[in-house]
Parts: sequence; C-alpha cells; structure tokens
Amino acid sequence: MRKILLMLILLVFQKNISQELFTVTDPASNVPGNSLAINTMQLLFKEKLEPGYNYHIMPEVTYGLNKNLMFRATAFVSNRNTSLVTEGGSFFAKYRFFSSDDLNSHFRLAAFGRYSFNNSDIHQDQIEIMGHNSGFETGIVATKLIKKVAISSSVSFEKAFDNTSKNPFPNTYGDHATNYTLSFGKLMYPKKYTSYKQTNINVMVEFVGQTINENGKSYLDVVPAIQFIINSQARIDLAYKQELVSSMLRTAPNGVYFNLYYTFFNLTK
Amino acid sequence: MKKSYPYLTLLALVVFNFLNANAQISKAEIRATGLTCSMCSNAINKQLKALPEVANITTDLNTNTFTVTLNENTSITPKTFKQSVEKAGFFIGSLLLTSKTSSIKNEKYIVVDAKTMDSEEVTYQVLDKGYVTDKEYKKLSKSLKKMGTYLANNEDDFHIKILN
Repeated sequence: MRKILLMLILLVFQKNISQELFTVTDPASNVPGNSLAINTMQLLFKEKLEPGYNYHIMPEVTYGLNKNLMFRATAFVSNRNTSLVTEGGSFFAKYRFFSSDDLNSHFRLAAFGRYSFNNSDIHQDQIEIMGHNSGFETGIVATKLIKKVAISSSVSFEKAFDNTSKNPFPNTYGDHATNYTLSFGKLMYPKKYTSYKQTNINVMVEFVGQTINENGKSYLDVVPAIQFIINSQARIDLAYKQELVSSMLRTAPNGVYFNLYYTFFNLTK
Repeated sequence: MKKSYPYLTLLALVVFNFLNANAQISKAEIRATGLTCSMCSNAINKQLKALPEVANITTDLNTNTFTVTLNENTSITPKTFKQSVEKAGFFIGSLLLTSKTSSIKNEKYIVVDAKTMDSEEVTYQVLDKGYVTDKEYKKLSKSLKKMGTYLANNEDDFHIKILN
C-alpha cells in the first residue's frame, strides 16, 4: 500500500496538466453557471467490528446559479441497518469569492456550507454529516493550479446534532470537530489534446482528516483515485479510502468509492 | 421553392443601418485563462455555442483558444464574449476581433496606437480590464495612464490595438 501511495504522489508531482475535479473533496472552483450536474456516489465500506460490508448510495444534483455560486442536494441511502433505506439528505452551497487566473493557472478561494439530516443510529466518534450524522459544516477551500498541477486544501468546522429524537447524539462523544483536507490531481492522458471526444484519465491523491475539538481524538485517511472523463461531459471516479492513523472509534473506515457524474450545460438560454 | 420577402429585406436594411454603430464583428479569437481540462473548456464551448450570433467554433484545447465565426451583421459586442467565458467559471486572457474597418470608427472603440486603418477589414485586440490577463492589465494601466478613458474602466467602451 505504501509503495503504491508513494508512486501515486510521485506521479502527481511530475510536470503535466492536472485536474481538480476531486472525488471526496470539492475544489474552490464551481460548476459552470446555468449548468446542472447529476451524479451517484456509491460507497462500499468494510465493517471493522463485525463481519460484512456496508453500502451507501448518494444521488446528488448540483446546480450552478451563476459564475460564483453553486448549490447541491444529496440523498443518503444505506444498508447499514439490514435493508437499503433512505436515512437522510443534505444541502450544500459554495461561493467563490476570490479568483486570480492566468494562462493555464489559477488561485481561487471559496466558502462553503452544508446542512444534513439523518435518522440512523449514531455508532462512532467520527462526525460525518455525509451519510451518518445530522448537523452542519462550514469552511473555506483554496485551490491552486501551478504549472498545470492542481493542489487544493480546505479547513472546516463540523457540528453534529441528534439524529432525530429517536437517536440522540451520545454525551460521551464530542459533538463538534475540525476537518482538514489536502488534495493533489494530475491528468495522465491525453498528453496532447485533439478533441472534446478524447477520454481523459486523471490520477488523484487526497488526504482527509478530522479532530474532535473536545477530546482531541483524530484520524487521517488517504484516498487515491482514478478518474475517467468521457466526451468532456461525463465522469467516472473510482477511489479507495485507507485509514492512516486514528485515535477514535470508527466502525468502517476503509472502503471503495464509485462515482458516476454527468453535466448538462446551458439549462436555459 | 424559393420565396422572396421584400418587406423583410427592407426591414433588414433598416436594422443593419441602425446597427452600424456596432463593430460588426465577423470573427473572434478568444484565449481563456485558468483552465487546463477538457471538461472546463467544454463549459466555455457550450456557453459560446448558445449565443445566437455564433455560426461556428473551433477549439484548440492545448491553448484553450476558441476561434468563433459569427453570423453576418450581428450587433454582438466584446462584452458578450466576456460574460460567456466568465459564466463558465473562467476569464479571458486575450480577445482578438475582426471587423469591417468602417464599423469600428465610432466613439465606442478607442484606438490606442493611432495606426492608420486603410484595409477594408481590421483585426484588433481589446485591451480593457477583463479582456487581458491581470498581469497585462497592470502593465497597460501604466503605459496608458494618460488615457483617462482607459483607467475609467467604462464597460461600454473598448480600447483596442490594431494588429494588421
């Protein structure tokens, strides 16, 4: 695993054209204004404390209102408790407030907020409002494209609420956390573009971490990913998440992501 | 099969005369900044394609240069190109336009290099803020500092450099 990781990092740092359409984090850039994107993210995570896997499917709709503001709605469906049920949903907004662009490079800053609700049982220290906890998250993200290598980093505050009155947030856990991410991306193919029809292949490595503010419990994961862009309009992401370090209770930290994504440009003229 | 529309032709003539205050751009070469991916480039491509004035677009994905051929006698202004590129989430790095020489001889177009324009068609670069890279704009603000209209950043007049 370490060798593969090192190789991926080396690949990313080589000179070439890069990508910032990351699998598990969002860059400071938004989807185009007046465009609609739909995607379904599927996760298959191995249970650590019991045998078996848990499966999540998250259909999402993303809308670009204008060049600086985008919205996203997500539904959370999972089989964590026996059969496949809808456990909750989420609203997300991102506002790009700074851009400094040059030929083939840019530096951008954006602020984002997410509100989620979920009715499943709370079973771990980790706060994850994408499919596990009710709560909110707010933060800022910076994305830099230098000499065609994309690097993106974010810091956010995440707060968990009761998962409805049936599943209150346990007093023994800390209910707010600081999240941090660092992502690298690179385009592997084509070396030279000839048309919009060419399939692009991107390789990414993302680091995702969290510290519970009250007790300092933390984790850090690495997520290597490969991405195919088809017809300059559709995306297929395949990623693997591996826990690097953790001092908190997590029931299923490791697993795979499979994301299918399609963009509709120019909704209305 | 071919029908004639005398009134339409007349109306068209009247409209064209009215539109003569516009630069009657026939071709635009837009270089976009801040992107390297084909999906990003496609976002700009789709925005430009949606413009009714646009007849055809060819793209060099390696330089993100869009060569746009326009329908005849449209009233499109440089501002439309800027809005389209920015709506897609990016910026214009350079904008080269081709127009009939007679059509840019009006107060909207301010020629900064006092070149004589004796050919029928003229190709020129728009130098205003938002039509060049930030670095170039800083340089131009210094070299054109005596030009009050340039520094005023009025969105509806365009400072141009003649290229042919």
